[in-house]
Amino acid sequence: MAYALVALGFVLALNASGAVNFAHGDLVVLGGATAVVGGLWSGLAGPLLLPLVALALGAAGIVAARVAILPLAARPPEATFVATIALAAIIEQGLTVTMGAAPRTAPSLLGSGSFDVAGLVLGRQPFAIVVVGAALVAAVWFLLERTQTGRRMRAVSSDRHMAHAVGIPVSRYIILSLALAGALAGVAGLLLGHQFLVAPTQGAGHMLKAYIAVALGGWGSVPGALLAALGIGAFETFISAGFGDAWASAALYISVLVVLAVRPQGLFGEPLGRRA
Amino acid sequence: MRALGAFWFTVLLLPPIMALAVLEPFGQRMVALVGIYALMGLGYQLVFGQLGALNLAQGALFGLGAYAAALTAPALGGLALAVAILAAAIPAAIVAAATLRLQSHYFALATLALASIANLLAVHGEGLTGGANGLTGFTASLPRGPLLLAMVWICLIAGVLLYAHLFRGGLGEKARLLRQAPLVAATLGVDGGRWRLAAFVVGGGLAGLAGAFSAAVSGVVSPEATGFSVMVLCLTSVVLGGARHPMGAVLGAAIAVCLPELLRDLQGAWLLAYAVATLAVVRWAPEGLAGLLDGLRGAGVEEPSTPVLPETLPPIAGAQRLTIESVVKRFGGVEALAGVSFTVERGEIVGLIGPNGSGKTTLLNAISGLEPADAGTIGLDDRPIERLAAHLIARAGVGRTFQTPMLEGDTHRIELARVVSTGAAFLLLDEPAAGATDLERDQLALLLRRLRESGRAILIVDHDIELLTRICGRLVCLDRGRVIAAGRPAEVRADARVRASFLGLAEAAA
Repeated sequence: MAYALVALGFVLALNASGAVNFAHGDLVVLGGATAVVGGLWSGLAGPLLLPLVALALGAAGIVAARVAILPLAARPPEATFVATIALAAIIEQGLTVTMGAAPRTAPSLLGSGSFDVAGLVLGRQPFAIVVVGAALVAAVWFLLERTQTGRRMRAVSSDRHMAHAVGIPVSRYIILSLALAGALAGVAGLLLGHQFLVAPTQGAGHMLKAYIAVALGGWGSVPGALLAALGIGAFETFISAGFGDAWASAALYISVLVVLAVRPQGLFGEPLGRRA
Repeated sequence: MRALGAFWFTVLLLPPIMALAVLEPFGQRMVALVGIYALMGLGYQLVFGQLGALNLAQGALFGLGAYAAALTAPALGGLALAVAILAAAIPAAIVAAATLRLQSHYFALATLALASIANLLAVHGEGLTGGANGLTGFTASLPRGPLLLAMVWICLIAGVLLYAHLFRGGLGEKARLLRQAPLVAATLGVDGGRWRLAAFVVGGGLAGLAGAFSAAVSGVVSPEATGFSVMVLCLTSVVLGGARHPMGAVLGAAIAVCLPELLRDLQGAWLLAYAVATLAVVRWAPEGLAGLLDGLRGAGVEEPSTPVLPETLPPIAGAQRLTIESVVKRFGGVEALAGVSFTVERGEIVGLIGPNGSGKTTLLNAISGLEPADAGTIGLDDRPIERLAAHLIARAGVGRTFQTPMLEGDTHRIELARVVSTGAAFLLLDEPAAGATDLERDQLALLLRRLRESGRAILIVDHDIELLTRICGRLVCLDRGRVIAAGRPAEVRADARVRASFLGLAEAAA
């Protein structure tokens, strides 16, 4: 479910800017780091920290849009790729310099341990991740499908020039999308940060999973990315239970190459046609 | 050397000569490292700089080369360098061949997956790679010290000179066309996928060679050699130095190797500075430091603002007739073309008219292979072409122009010149007169008649029905993806259904 949040933010940023945001994984890590530091300083519990981290990373998303995405909107997508890769390196190195390379633990949401529900044993943190994740996905769905703001965001994604022509302030909606993407990344970072710790080098891995989810789910498709992210999570859990983590990752990457070679429009089709 | 210029040639020769003549072993080692990273960067420039394709596997290919050299050096000696080149080039070829026609972002993902697999193999394939500890003790049979330095720089200098020479001429124009206007390139018969394959394999081979050299310099190969950080270093140094400039990789590598030495007190902060500098270069100096220096020297190479024709294809003697038979194209549930049939013969001009959204441009796209038809046949004489890739259709003698935004001066004429000079026998023209003045329209009519007299066939889409009436032997009118009228211009214009579907436009023109 946390993968789904990472992928959701990734695909929102992708649709808004028209190019892959390679810094998205590092925004997730930054969210985790913010949770660690915020937790230490303020002593706030996880549930109170959550909205603060989301706000902070929403601001980080705005900075990312202003620095690496909007100024390059008129250039080929490769310029944005490079700029966001540089941004990713800046976040990663910045974190390494300020908090060191050693992994840290983010605060939990419902405390650790587990509880029994009708004979099923549920871990508290996984349970919290599923609940928060589902709530956020539902909220984003509502925003995109049922509000004027969301309609405009989708208009900007599907045809920036047309949106501009009908009077939508395109830059503002790109920034809004990136802020939303950042906030989702921050929440995902906090959620993942308790179970899997927070280390500056994790960003590339998060980004890669989201990238894979979006490619498999159909480039630019929000539900496709969510389904694929859940599928990747299940696939990895399943294979790593049987053969170990390394094989799970290897199998995932090989599957990606096979899917790209055989069915490049993704498992569920590509909704937006030609983009980069 | 002429392609590079005396200034850059001197800059290129200076480091190895200085290193061999005056520097201590430590300095020589650094110069060798600069050469190694520059070699990897030079390979990267082929794919990223020239073709604009984001390759995220260059670091992994470098690592594969390093491992291959470390594993085979004890048995093969110097031949291990050749093995390293193959060890990098072969996986590159497999991945690029499988993703030949994919867009940039999928190519990037495919290379990222390749890189991740290589890294996993290095970390977990302990029997082969020594796992996290890596491999050591293999350098005895590899070149070392000054000899190694000389080999690295000879390879690099040869590579830079070859690169400068190749990309100065027609090859550079072709690459620029592929980078900036891949669709136009395809309709000119340039096979973008094969180009990317070739560039990726050659670039990968250079990365493998660089990896082998680096193994020889350091004496250790560990999984870090395949990691993402090598890749990011390669990308950022090429961007910093200048992604297309022949000296870009060399300058970038020099900074990447020297900066950490200069900022040694700041520990990891040099990478931070490096990333910030890259971001700044992307935003404000897209041609990189080499481009900036050229600007300061007043030697800047002005890129012409419009793609120039890369190559003239020989005139096609063959086909006499283009046959379009029951062509269907659907977008989702919408039938943009619902069974269109007509023919175009050599030596005639056929006008394609119809209201907006009636399928005119879609039909041109289907014929030229940019959006293959879902059903029906398109043939040149008896040869079906509807399943061919766009560049093959172009080579079979079908050329086309694209709609151009209005008010861009000579764009129309350049589009037309481009397609005519391919030697195509069948010309598909999409609104060549849009935004043109009356004088320009007269010139266009004259030119099209001359093309017809030279034995070419022209299928022209335009809204100027007066112009089409003057020059076309026949008109075909589309409405909602169907042919509703075809024949002599006067008959078609008199047709009640045509008048009804056109309404305002036809009356305004009449």
